[in-house]
Amino acid sequence: MALLEVIDVTQRFGGLQALSCFDMIVEEREIVGLIGPNGAGKTTVFNLVSGFYTPTTGEIRFRGKSTRGMKPNQVTALGLARTFQNIRLWNDMTVLDNVRMARYHWLGYGLLDAILRTRRYAQAEKAVEAKARHVLEIMELEDCATELPKNLPYGLQRRVELARALTVEPSLLLLDEPAAGLNSADVDGLIRQIRWIHENFDVAIWMIEHQMKVVMTLCQRLTVIDFGSIIASGTPVEVQKNPKVIAAYLGEERL
Amino acid sequence: MQRNALTVLLALVCIALVAAAQYRLLDSYLLTVLMFMGINIVFATSLNLVNGYMGEFSCGHGGFMCVGAYVGSILSVALFSGNKLMGPALLSPALAPLLFPLVLLAAFAVSALCGLLVALPSFRTRDDYLAIITIAANYIIISVVENIDAIGGPRGFSGMKRTVLAMEDVVDIPWMLVWVIVVTIVCVIIQRRLMSSTYGRGICAVCQNEVAAEIMGVDTNRVKLMAFMLSSGLAGVAGVLYAHVYGYVNAQAFNILKSTEGLVMVYLGGMGSLSGVILAAIAFTLLVEGLRFAIPALNDLLHAVQLMPASYEISQVWKWVLLPLLLVLLMQFRPEGFLGNKELTDVFPRLKRWMRSGSGEADGRGAS
Repeated sequence: MALLEVIDVTQRFGGLQALSCFDMIVEEREIVGLIGPNGAGKTTVFNLVSGFYTPTTGEIRFRGKSTRGMKPNQVTALGLARTFQNIRLWNDMTVLDNVRMARYHWLGYGLLDAILRTRRYAQAEKAVEAKARHVLEIMELEDCATELPKNLPYGLQRRVELARALTVEPSLLLLDEPAAGLNSADVDGLIRQIRWIHENFDVAIWMIEHQMKVVMTLCQRLTVIDFGSIIASGTPVEVQKNPKVIAAYLGEERL
Repeated sequence: MQRNALTVLLALVCIALVAAAQYRLLDSYLLTVLMFMGINIVFATSLNLVNGYMGEFSCGHGGFMCVGAYVGSILSVALFSGNKLMGPALLSPALAPLLFPLVLLAAFAVSALCGLLVALPSFRTRDDYLAIITIAANYIIISVVENIDAIGGPRGFSGMKRTVLAMEDVVDIPWMLVWVIVVTIVCVIIQRRLMSSTYGRGICAVCQNEVAAEIMGVDTNRVKLMAFMLSSGLAGVAGVLYAHVYGYVNAQAFNILKSTEGLVMVYLGGMGSLSGVILAAIAFTLLVEGLRFAIPALNDLLHAVQLMPASYEISQVWKWVLLPLLLVLLMQFRPEGFLGNKELTDVFPRLKRWMRSGSGEADGRGAS
């Protein structure tokens, strides 16, 4: 069974058809990419998969289970995590707290435990703390654990967001333009980090990315959309040669 | 060591206060002011959960205090003292000191349920719209209470003094002061512990970025329900104390002005700062009481130096000009309040080190 199946999904916002008949399958432990010109509907796909939108028609299945009617936090509980195109961190919480919060669904204690400081509370918090520190260490962020994200440089903020998503221990990680706004040294670091994550975690990665260097080196398969429809899919090399893709999107970039 | 020292210090102060009240060293006016300080702390910090930590804008917090005050008063009168409408007391008045916590809990529960009703629209609405809904809720609660004749309607409800006297018959200590101190400390501990847990920080996550909270697995609707219910429940408990300290309740005491007082305290202290709001509640109580003396003094002074026509007297009504003016000035010059969203220990790191150097893990009482 595939990890994620997006089957014939169409999304309309009033009269606007943002996405039509979109199909996609992501297998366990794959790295795949979604590319397309601005406004093609890429982020709409991610918003549908992560449960922010309910598809107008069609079906999204995570490990065979339909996510229709689920709220984003319920989809996350199934093992999906994502980052955002425009960074969405909690800016008045420390980096450590940001990462800790990703374990919210699995805390396993409630209001009374928190107030009475029961043993269950103590154990859960200890486990969450250890987990968060571990991820910060992996992501080379342990030095800024007590900083507020808003005081960090942009590249680090992106890394914190990635760390937070990893703390969910997802089986599918959606990255929405992870390299946006990074300089070329940071991009190389990001590529190394994503590869490392892929090798060391049991996780499939689906990314939207404009920087061809990132998708070409990392992705095993690419899907290209334009005006809400798939215009090509295949290996990076195949896609690169596809005349439709060149016309729609890659033309100016001359890969 | 120091950590415990702070706790011991707080305990000593409380015991000293109770002892001073017991041996009539404090006059009853000072005592009432002290009790109102505690009640204001409970009221303001509970509002801070929603308006500060969660970043919503609830303007009808007085309504929940009203619910709590009436539920607590009715229970207390029906159970321990009885009146003409409700007949004789259902239980022996001797049980009053033992069962008073149950009255507080019941008031908490009923107010929390009212909070639930206000939380539901907050799933879809925020900001101005939610503010309007909460104001409406405040008015609805007051109108409902005023129109139930069985509990006195617009005349108000009394008889709680007899419950307090019943407690004092069992053991002769200043019971209300004790209850106010206990409830205030418990309320502060509850909020401190909640907000230092990952579970409670979910409230801040919803405030700072709701989309991110949802995607990271925080059930935002549940968090909002929890915060609203806890907040209104605690306001209800403050209401019970208020009713018993006064010995009389009237729905109009919890109108929009009461809610505004809560807002002033929260914004004065800093949204999302527990210690800031506690300080603000204390300062606000002192200010309100101070004006009681300052206004006549000013009046006399201005008449003495003949700056004011003899035909005009500055009355206490000016309090309601000066307090809102304080809010205006605050928004102009320090919109983040005393402490912003920081705690006392963040502003004075030495205080934190001093406390940490004690028993390690910081928990328990509020910093102030």
